[in-house]
Amino acid sequence: MPDRREALKIMGAIGTTCAFPFASNELYGQHVHPPAGAAAGYGPPRFFTPEEFATVSRVADLIIPPTDTPGAVQAGVPAYIDYVVASNQEWRKLYREGIAWLHEQPDELAALTRYIDQPGDELPARFFRAIKSMTADGFYTSREGLVVDLGYKGNTALASFPSCEIPEH
Amino acid sequence: MPSKIYDVVIVGSGAAGGTLAAHLARRGVDVALVEGGPKVNTRTDFNTHAMPFEFPSRHIPTMKPGKPGFDSERSRGIGGKTMLWNAVAWRFSERDFRGKDHDGAGENWPIHYQDMAPYYEKIEREVGVCGNLDHLEDLPDGIFLPPVPMKCTDLLVQRGAAKLGVKVIHVRKSTLSRPSATRPACHFCGNCMAGCDVAAKYNSADVHIVPAMKAGYKLDVFSNAVVREVAVSTENRVTGVRYLHRETKAEGEVRGRSVVVSCACAQSVALLLMSKSRLYPTGLANSSGELGRNFIPHFTGGLQFFLTDMIGKPTTDDEGFLDHAYVPSFMHNRKRDYARSFGVQFGYNNRRSVGWARSMPGFGKAYKDSIRARYPAFVVFSPYGEMLPNKGTYIDLDYNRLDEYGLPAARRQVTYMENEQKLYADMIRWSVEILKSSGAEILSGTDDKPATNHELGGCRMGDDPKRSVLNAFCRSHDVPNLYVVDGSVFAGSSEKNPTHTIMALAARAADNISERLQKGEM
Repeated sequence: MPDRREALKIMGAIGTTCAFPFASNELYGQHVHPPAGAAAGYGPPRFFTPEEFATVSRVADLIIPPTDTPGAVQAGVPAYIDYVVASNQEWRKLYREGIAWLHEQPDELAALTRYIDQPGDELPARFFRAIKSMTADGFYTSREGLVVDLGYKGNTALASFPSCEIPEH
Repeated sequence: MPSKIYDVVIVGSGAAGGTLAAHLARRGVDVALVEGGPKVNTRTDFNTHAMPFEFPSRHIPTMKPGKPGFDSERSRGIGGKTMLWNAVAWRFSERDFRGKDHDGAGENWPIHYQDMAPYYEKIEREVGVCGNLDHLEDLPDGIFLPPVPMKCTDLLVQRGAAKLGVKVIHVRKSTLSRPSATRPACHFCGNCMAGCDVAAKYNSADVHIVPAMKAGYKLDVFSNAVVREVAVSTENRVTGVRYLHRETKAEGEVRGRSVVVSCACAQSVALLLMSKSRLYPTGLANSSGELGRNFIPHFTGGLQFFLTDMIGKPTTDDEGFLDHAYVPSFMHNRKRDYARSFGVQFGYNNRRSVGWARSMPGFGKAYKDSIRARYPAFVVFSPYGEMLPNKGTYIDLDYNRLDEYGLPAARRQVTYMENEQKLYADMIRWSVEILKSSGAEILSGTDDKPATNHELGGCRMGDDPKRSVLNAFCRSHDVPNLYVVDGSVFAGSSEKNPTHTIMALAARAADNISERLQKGEM
């Protein structure tokens, strides 16, 4: 058994061969954790007009802004939303109407503040529900959201499972 | 090879089929294993280590591009659901087998714990089960590899539950915590239910089927063979199975002196119901009319919560092998107004998924900060309850929904009766109490309706041929060379995960089958 310090060293990384021996046989002789693949690319928007795409980008960044870590736009969330919306008739209708409604509002931030997290069937409430959910989904499944912002550390090979380090536990 | 007659034809290659195939083949029995899906390579075919951002949809497909299997119900693969299971392995207790003796409800199994104990032990020694010796009356100990340490979140729940007199124990899993001669120990990459690519977690292909083939035993595997019928002769003997090739749909046949149906609960029931003949116009081995009845899946709730003590703590690599702890059944000796009990699985959430973020209130920096702070504190809690058999809960065939092979879908009908409703309400109430006592901020799940999981029953064992389909060795009461071994045979579901019991039943049935083959009874 390696000691804790060594185990922590081994906890390095996606993309390295396990630093401890497995039973040496043909099937499991050397286990390689492949590096996480490249993020999927989306190309130009398939559904949103340039003006709509700009609006979706502004709203997404209001919901998850850049701080000490990247925000929604840097994480490619608008392209993800376009990808999801383009494939579904109901989403397309909701976004087209919702964005048109938002374009008529004098103040985007005020509109968002008023309608976000609101229940009900009103168009603005439904629109902000959808765009918030998709922004959260898109951001926290991106490398910027999951790895950079939340600090995801799993998907590695540990020699042993570390006991809880919080003293009062 | 349609002219060859095997000793045993097994339909399905999962926990039951794989165990049976290896146990029979080792004794020199000539076995054919027939599986509806393709061969898969655990090491290379699954997306075990993928991250969501690699896919435009952000959903990680089970299989790598171009690798068939496991993406739909009819397209599984060698190994069945053991490729994707979470490996929780409990022994059932005497009370689980004889529930009716204890509270008068439901039905007894035709066997006792003592009948099963040697087979549980056999499976534990063979596949490796990690766990702690807890000396609990309702959860028998076994032969265990050392347990895996609990997570910080588990210890908080353990402390909270203890204040209410409720125990939290180490989970027991068919996953190696120490290497075996042929398999490495678990390395805690945290994606157990996406195909363990080192087979530290038991799967029937790598642990049972492939080693038996490599050892040169008489075991032929027919992959991509979607069985549509178990054939029965006018002399009331099954003679083999008829199948369609998964891709070409060409017809084929495998003949045998005996047949074991192990397709997983609902699919096994469906195959027997489809196998109509002059002798059995309502489905094979259904003279009792009980086939498809007594369906008793587990019902479960799902609470999402944050442990306040962990909010704002640094993110660590605590995925482990998903859940490391368990709340064993504790209601049997407490006053209550329903029969049976529940246990709680928790902390099996994968940190690659942050689906709860969309339900958090607010927006902007405060929203983003609150998600980050809660990320290490997020846990799920799933109590599992035991369902009693009732007339409104059954499996039948839906001839209005035919698949690409022209076969009807298995239809599950579930009705929650008064006992289930009371049990469900109580298990949610207890869950909330335990979580409050652990300092949890509950996000969701207290108002959810029950969902089913772990399909069980539908082809139950019993002593009375009028009220059950199989005898105490999983053999048909009607047809002397037909066996069914999987979750469908359960006469009572317990609240405990079923696979370990399915494997022990398979080992026990293998003994019975090989003895009867030797005596010439097949």
